[in-house]
Amino acid sequence: MTNTIQILSIVKTGKESSLQKEHNNKSIKIIDGYFFSTNLDDQKFTKISKLISNDVSQTILTKKNVNKVLSSYSNFNWVVEIKFLPGVTDNIATTVKEIIKDNLKSSFKSFELGSTKIILIKGRKEDITKISKNEANPLIQTIKIYSFKKYLNNFKKNQFKIEKVKLPKKKYSKKEINLDISDHQLSLIGKLGIEENDKSRRGTLGLDLESLKAIRNYFSTIKRKPTDVEIETLAQTWSEHCKHKIFSAKIDDIQEGIFKKYIKGATEKIIQLRKDNFCVSLFTDNAGGIEFNKDWIICHKVETHNTPSALDPFGGAITGIVGVNRDCLGFGKGAKPIANTYAYYLADPNKNYRLYRQKNNKDPMLPANFIAKGIISGVRVGGNCSGIPTPQGNVYFDNRFAGKPLVFCGTVGIIPKKIKGKLSHKKKANPGDIILMAGGRVGKDGIHGATFSSEELDPNSPVSAVQIGDPITQKKMSDVIIRELRDENLYSSITDNGAGGLSSSIGEMAKESGGFIVNLEKIPLKYNGLYPWEIWVSESQERMTLAVPPKNVKKVIKRFNARGVEATIIGKFIKKEKAIVKYNKIEILNLDMEFLHEGYPKLNLKTSFPKIKKEKKKIIKKSSMIDKLLKLLSSPNIVSKEFIATQYDHEVQATSIIKPLQGEGRVFGNATAIKPLFNDEKSIALSQAAYPQYAETNPYDMAGCSIDTAYKNLIVSGANSKKIAILDNFCWCSSDEPDRLYQLKEAAKACYDYAVAYQTPFISGKDSMFNDFKGFDKTGKSVKISIPPTLLISSIGVVDKISHLTKITPDDGDILLVLGATRNELQDSVYSKTIGYEKSKNPVVNSKDALRTYKNFEKANKLRIINSAIGIDLGGLGIAITKMAIASKKGLTIDLKLKNKISVDQFLFSETQSRILVSLKKNKLAKFKKIFRTSDYTIIGKCTGSNVIEFKDNKKIIRSKISDFAKSYKQKIKGL
Amino acid sequence: MNVLVLSGYGINCENETLHSFEVVGFKGKIVHINDLIQNPKQLNNYQVFAIPGGFSYGDDTGSGNAMAKKIMTNLYDQLIDFSLKDRLIIGICNGCQILINLGLIPSLNKKDPEVAMIENKSGSYECRWVDIKVSNNKSPWLKNISIMNLPVAHQEGQFMIPINLLKSVKANNLIGLQYINHHKKLAKGQFPFNPNGSKDDIAALTNQNGNILAMMPHPERAFYHYHIPNWQNTTSKKFGDGYKIFMNAKKFFA
Repeated sequence: MTNTIQILSIVKTGKESSLQKEHNNKSIKIIDGYFFSTNLDDQKFTKISKLISNDVSQTILTKKNVNKVLSSYSNFNWVVEIKFLPGVTDNIATTVKEIIKDNLKSSFKSFELGSTKIILIKGRKEDITKISKNEANPLIQTIKIYSFKKYLNNFKKNQFKIEKVKLPKKKYSKKEINLDISDHQLSLIGKLGIEENDKSRRGTLGLDLESLKAIRNYFSTIKRKPTDVEIETLAQTWSEHCKHKIFSAKIDDIQEGIFKKYIKGATEKIIQLRKDNFCVSLFTDNAGGIEFNKDWIICHKVETHNTPSALDPFGGAITGIVGVNRDCLGFGKGAKPIANTYAYYLADPNKNYRLYRQKNNKDPMLPANFIAKGIISGVRVGGNCSGIPTPQGNVYFDNRFAGKPLVFCGTVGIIPKKIKGKLSHKKKANPGDIILMAGGRVGKDGIHGATFSSEELDPNSPVSAVQIGDPITQKKMSDVIIRELRDENLYSSITDNGAGGLSSSIGEMAKESGGFIVNLEKIPLKYNGLYPWEIWVSESQERMTLAVPPKNVKKVIKRFNARGVEATIIGKFIKKEKAIVKYNKIEILNLDMEFLHEGYPKLNLKTSFPKIKKEKKKIIKKSSMIDKLLKLLSSPNIVSKEFIATQYDHEVQATSIIKPLQGEGRVFGNATAIKPLFNDEKSIALSQAAYPQYAETNPYDMAGCSIDTAYKNLIVSGANSKKIAILDNFCWCSSDEPDRLYQLKEAAKACYDYAVAYQTPFISGKDSMFNDFKGFDKTGKSVKISIPPTLLISSIGVVDKISHLTKITPDDGDILLVLGATRNELQDSVYSKTIGYEKSKNPVVNSKDALRTYKNFEKANKLRIINSAIGIDLGGLGIAITKMAIASKKGLTIDLKLKNKISVDQFLFSETQSRILVSLKKNKLAKFKKIFRTSDYTIIGKCTGSNVIEFKDNKKIIRSKISDFAKSYKQKIKGL
Repeated sequence: MNVLVLSGYGINCENETLHSFEVVGFKGKIVHINDLIQNPKQLNNYQVFAIPGGFSYGDDTGSGNAMAKKIMTNLYDQLIDFSLKDRLIIGICNGCQILINLGLIPSLNKKDPEVAMIENKSGSYECRWVDIKVSNNKSPWLKNISIMNLPVAHQEGQFMIPINLLKSVKANNLIGLQYINHHKKLAKGQFPFNPNGSKDDIAALTNQNGNILAMMPHPERAFYHYHIPNWQNTTSKKFGDGYKIFMNAKKFFA
């Protein structure tokens, strides 16, 4: 009899080798453990272990062999046992349960099991403690460290235990909340949550005093007290995360708010000017949709998952990526996800910041390298397991992200324009339609996610807000929706369950019909003991909500079930504009839809011009130009991100046409392309840009640079300038402070100006307004770390022909040219940060000049005059030159004939925008000159095909081998 | 000529795999594993059985294991039957891992698997293009191919073969594909030419008959010319190297 199955690899695994390398070559062995809630007899033990192990590569530990087997590896003396806390998603355990259920038909009493990772080491206790810190997160896992002797004893005496979720059995009685209390008491409800009978608080609602007063007024007019569920629902629906109150607020003299005036305003203006069918569905749906070709629409959405990723980097990031996948599934009648994008803004992974959420070194922030590694793997597992390619992304490092990392996850989807003759992007839940919840079950995960992501990260940030995604459950659900339901028009509307869970998804969808009635007791739960309000607001993942006409319900449920996916009727949509929720027939929520969605008090914001913190002048160290180039190439924000590209499957779906690693020399590109349909040669080009480092100097110009770069990268890759759309993701800090709001307003204003100038509509966006950390440093001093204002612009464009797609590799004999003028704009550049800086200006985009360059480029590229091209961005022209050489493995000669009184350093490292480095065949120069007579360009050299890059000054020639540049560019990022 | 392409539980390359077969002339269908278990007789309508790549059951308990166990419990005899007829079976990436876990390769004599797929030596997921050579041209899948450039994308692509078995695998000429370096010589385990550390640079194995091929690289992702990295620099052909594998299947039945 035993209650555990433990399996280890016979040979050293890759994971064991890398752990060993990290920990001074100590002997390490990893055991996959499965702890059962019941004892297994010998027969069951044998059968189950055989099902979940491999005879050839693994050994199953038994009481008899455990001593002998383990001692054959080493004299281990310490052990760490890592398993998930009760209630945390355990995907491996789910699979094992399914394997047992599928293959052992004999009756097997219901049991629980948990997966465990057991690491054995020969070393000191400090060593195992260090390993546990690198391998586990105490927020979601229990970590037990004990001696090897105790481990053997546990093994022989069946001492391994799993903890189940044990919630007290509660009999539900309707809870009414008295709001006729003092302002102070009212604020406490908002900040700490509703008070339970035992005086404990549920956790933050994120409701301010004004909102609570609005709720009190509403209930006094309808002459009753609100229930707890009503207050929880209003908190979710009115959260900054869901309602974007800051973007919609009156701000200074802008009555309609910055979203309507600058973002939506830009798009409306563009649509008015363009008069074509490019924009299909904007701002209203889960993602924004544009026309791909005459039969297909593509949609794009980018989300952030910052706060969850700060608490549990892996869980936060995987949930981020599979969550935004669902935004595509919930676009129109359901778009198929065809590409993922990512952008991470992180602290230096090699630095130990030692930050704490509470005084006296309590409640530490996770180390920066743990956060970075966790985020990178979270998106890897989420994307790879879902079979969605992840070609496009970038990473940026800055100390100011030490308190909160930014994790942007995006997805592109595709859907036929018409489904059974009806427009696929239009959907409407009709009165009488059944509300069907499909996918995963509901647990305590993510309770209060929407309300806390709108708040700063402080000691009261609830840990139950963390979720871990389950990409396989979602993949099964997604396959049924896209392949077996959508094209038969079996449902009338569909949406994703994201922030706010059912309360948000049903609340939003019911706007289409009028209202809804939901019966909460019908909802399948992961475990018993959830309060109705918890069921209603839980953010358990992998669920979609569908509106299904009654005649189709049976069919729809049957199809889900046949693929191992649960689907449950949980209520219906009604015509009356009422939101009604019942629990075992007791009505616990009854609100007017109008109040639910529009009853929140509108903010009235004021801004003020911020004091600009002047950067201290650093002296430039005397070093050679080559040394400067090498230093810049190996700086973390320029160095190659190949290690991410190779772990993210960018080839699945067989659509990759411009890959993340470009040229034989594998340079990490700033745009990628996929060709989504086998029968159409059109491609989708993707890029993104953000310049948080420019924000404090001038937020308006910062936003201009982001739009220009995201747009330019697509033009350079070959996209049709008339078929480019952009997305805005604002990640701001302290958005209750007038100077931060000033920066926000300025950035939004630039969004309008540049989007209209470039004729690129915003099709979707999202904002996250409080990315601040309030806590303590190692000495107990209180600190506040705010991220620099970050505006990520994602761009998506259509490339009409394969022959329009460009490459970044020149050929022997090509002439090299810089398109666009270079100015002295070294302020906030990588050069000024890495090498030092002189008095300079910040990069400013002149959209008229830029557009002339882009238009000419597009024309020349279509005529195949351009042989290769690369956008110039971080690090300036010098970096673009070296990247071209590294990618092509071909030498270049650069002539430093400078114009406009610019120094060599300014010419090579200025981050002046709107420039492209191109190469042409000699015989195309005349044609080129004819096209480019309306825009600025400089011939700077040629491709020699040798193995060196050489720079010719008037007096001297400086050269260095391409392989030296490549070595710097491909250096490993320290700490990762 | 009909091909059945398996799907379900996290398999995810079925569309592009089916497309590749269709372009060379097959008629085909994507069939969910649950539907096949419900009605295994439908196998009779097909000449080729393809298990595409993906992440069945999220690779939990080892890549390909859970799906292999499901097939073993529910479809094993039918699949053996299929393989004994004049028909073809291919497993690509996760499909390869499933075939190996089923014990269908390299031998048919034993129901237990004799080879294991284990984690890459690097310890990380590897999505990259590799050069491979055909080491066994008696398999109909590999006839008249010498060298190919194909992508791999896997976390567990290392073939683990006990030494004695490796000897007989070699003696019986069952190594299908091997990773090679820039000089077209065997990679000798050197990364990144051999992306996972497989012994003898093995990238694919076949059964004795040659009609079953289990390969880690993805031919369906190198099907068209524009799939190949830096295709702009090569002379424009319509197809990439992966095409040849699918064409061979067609030729076998033609």
